[in-house]
Amino acid sequence: MNENNETKDTKQYIVVKLQNEFYAIDIKYINNIVKMQRITRVPKAQKYFKGVINLRGEIIPVMSLRIRFDLEADEFTNKSRILIIKPDNQGVFGIIVDEVKEVVNISDEEIDKVSYDGNVDEKVQFITGVGRLGDNLVSIMNIVGVITDKDKDKE
Amino acid sequence: MDVSQYLEIFIEETKEHLQVLNEQLLVLEKEPENEDTINEIFRAAHSLKGMAGTMGYKRMQRLTHDMENVFSEIRSNKMKVVPKLVDVLFKGLDALEGYLDAILDSGNEGENDNEDIINDLNQILEEGLNGGAPKKEEAKTEEVKTEAVKTEGAQASACAVATEEKKEVSYELKGLTFAEHENKAIAKAKAEKFNVFQATVYIQDSCILKSARAFLVFKSLEEAGTVIKSEPSTQDIEDEKFDLQFSLAIITKESMEQIQKRILNVSEIAECVIGEVATPEVAVEDNSQQTVTKENVKEENNSQANKPSSQAASKPVVNRSVRVDIEKLDDLMNLVSELIIAKNGLVSINSNKDHKENQSGFNEQIEYIEQITTSLHQSVMKVRMVPIESVVNRFPRLIRDLSKKLDKKMELYMSGEETELDRTVIDEIGDPLMHLLRNAADHGLESNEERVRLGKPETGSIFLNAFQEGNNVVIEVKDDGAGINVEKVRNKAIEKGTITKEQAETMSDSDIIDLLFRPSFSTAEKISDVSGRGVGLDVVKTKIESLGGDIEVETALGQGTSFIIRLPLTLAIIQALMVELGTEKYAIPLGNINTIEDIPKSDIKYVQSRECIHLRGSVIPLVRLCDVLDIEREENEENLTVVIVSKGDKQAGLVVDNLIGQQEIVIKSIGKYINNVKMISGATILGDGEVALILDVNTLV
Repeated sequence: MNENNETKDTKQYIVVKLQNEFYAIDIKYINNIVKMQRITRVPKAQKYFKGVINLRGEIIPVMSLRIRFDLEADEFTNKSRILIIKPDNQGVFGIIVDEVKEVVNISDEEIDKVSYDGNVDEKVQFITGVGRLGDNLVSIMNIVGVITDKDKDKE
Repeated sequence: MDVSQYLEIFIEETKEHLQVLNEQLLVLEKEPENEDTINEIFRAAHSLKGMAGTMGYKRMQRLTHDMENVFSEIRSNKMKVVPKLVDVLFKGLDALEGYLDAILDSGNEGENDNEDIINDLNQILEEGLNGGAPKKEEAKTEEVKTEAVKTEGAQASACAVATEEKKEVSYELKGLTFAEHENKAIAKAKAEKFNVFQATVYIQDSCILKSARAFLVFKSLEEAGTVIKSEPSTQDIEDEKFDLQFSLAIITKESMEQIQKRILNVSEIAECVIGEVATPEVAVEDNSQQTVTKENVKEENNSQANKPSSQAASKPVVNRSVRVDIEKLDDLMNLVSELIIAKNGLVSINSNKDHKENQSGFNEQIEYIEQITTSLHQSVMKVRMVPIESVVNRFPRLIRDLSKKLDKKMELYMSGEETELDRTVIDEIGDPLMHLLRNAADHGLESNEERVRLGKPETGSIFLNAFQEGNNVVIEVKDDGAGINVEKVRNKAIEKGTITKEQAETMSDSDIIDLLFRPSFSTAEKISDVSGRGVGLDVVKTKIESLGGDIEVETALGQGTSFIIRLPLTLAIIQALMVELGTEKYAIPLGNINTIEDIPKSDIKYVQSRECIHLRGSVIPLVRLCDVLDIEREENEENLTVVIVSKGDKQAGLVVDNLIGQQEIVIKSIGKYINNVKMISGATILGDGEVALILDVNTLV
């Protein structure tokens, strides 16, 4: 295997499409990828939570990344998928993406860290860096930031 | 010796011993002369020390040892029980609990030496003995002595074997009568040049963990050969149904001395008398018989080894476990076999080609399966039930400490400790109850002087009552203190801006008391001082509601307050009414539902601009679920379907679009991510895989 010869700080990412941007998610967080299915709405939930789905007997909350990232509302197509994410030490949740493109290797050297000015809590940022993938740029998604609810923590 | 597999037993038993120590110390504090109590304490402390030592927890052993020294002096009437001593002893118990917690978490006892407690103990000991010899040294020599005695004892017993053997042999042979198949096994073994011995093992009479010691003996012997017989049976030995001695027979390659040594190596074994078994006069017969014997032997071994090994934890961190009555497990097993039969019934129907017959047979089988799953549910629930005692038995100690700390005289009366609750509820209910007890002791009861002035008995009473009521378990925390001064709460609430003056005037007393459960109230230091209530009550309420229960307050000024907690018996599976709202489906727990009514629109009245209906003498506010849950409402029908639900005395009518029917549903959590809407208590998966949300009626009423 070639990958074994590469430097240790290369990680595998799954690249997903959202509107016309590309995001990369560390493969270690990804539990499963399932097709769109019926989502049961939960009243009074945060706007970006579409509701819950039944995944083999487990109830899993599903988030719309588009709404979370302030993009246009979702249009579900045949290519829409729900990625089941398992962050470290936290429960499982799902995110809706427009399309799952591919699995890629990106080494840490190819990633430019995003710097934020001091008054923004890093925990709540959605991306940790921007990776170069050939001619394209992909944003490295910060799973913890996506799931951390800023407003909730303030309470 | 690898002791990790006994860790679970150790933890269980240590907990039990600590509980005994706690309880008995409380008694001792009141009756310093009670000899039974002192003996009981001494025994518990002694075995605790022994167990800690066996498991290699040196610090724990040392602390218990010093505590035991004190008990020992008390027992021999050399010193008196003084309050200060009891305080230190309680501190020691807390420290032991600390060790135990550390062991639970990480598998070792931690680094805390608790030197101060040990010093205090020794100091008291010295004072008690009127400045006798410095205690520490004495303790040490004592330790050395006991060790010496131990080794001596071992030697002595070894010697004793020779002299006593003759006396004992006849006794032994009486004790061990072999069944025919056992005789055959012995004969076979002898023929194959194995040694067959029988031994009578005597356990020291100070030993408390008799069955554990016996187990160690068996364990050690299993390594050397096969134990083919024991008297009493292995089961009885496990259940500690034996006196201080037991006999066994073993087939082994090792010599008599080796076997004896193995047995004596187990601590707290006083003596072992061993002898050879004479070759029985049975011819070695066909092999089939032989295998049967072997299987028997194996079975015996298994049954003997099973219990401890199944409890053994691979990691030091111990799993949570429930002790289950074997009968309950048998019930479960029976039901499962029935389920399999029912499944086979379905399979055979499926293979049957005749469709008409199929239909009726199919329905029959479905009904059958329904019956079985219901019973299965009940049985599993029973297995999960634990008496509430395991939570409340630490409360007497809590009240004692509070009494000292607050300098108020009080007494805790408990009833219904045997009431059973689901294991998950038991685990969670401890803190809220403790909170309520603290509240009662701190704010509820008046000071000693105040009570005397009011003509009440000086000692305050706190009651903790538990009992079952229908499908609920009720736990009541009651005090005979001052009660809640509703007016003061009302004024404070207005002052704080929680409610307006106008609101305050229209609010009933019980509504005002409910304010105490508001989070904002709990943080308001002043209010808790004035009203005497409200510290963290919101936490209690949240916890209890998360368990699916609710809490109520009854109070009478000057006579006391009682908090009444209602908890559902079961958590995981409930009966629910499925309803339709727009295109969505929701479940309403059946336990909350009183009736379902068909109400013509013209019957809706308005009270304070809220929709109400008049039903059999009571006015019931309507809740439009569609509005509450942000569902688009299509209104064209003349009649409303209203589900009347209740919470305590309060009622409400939930307006739904359609009724689907009653169904047994499995409750699942919707996780922590979604900003929990209080109105939704969970979700369930319907037959077609769709998810339906469960409404929490308590927040809607």
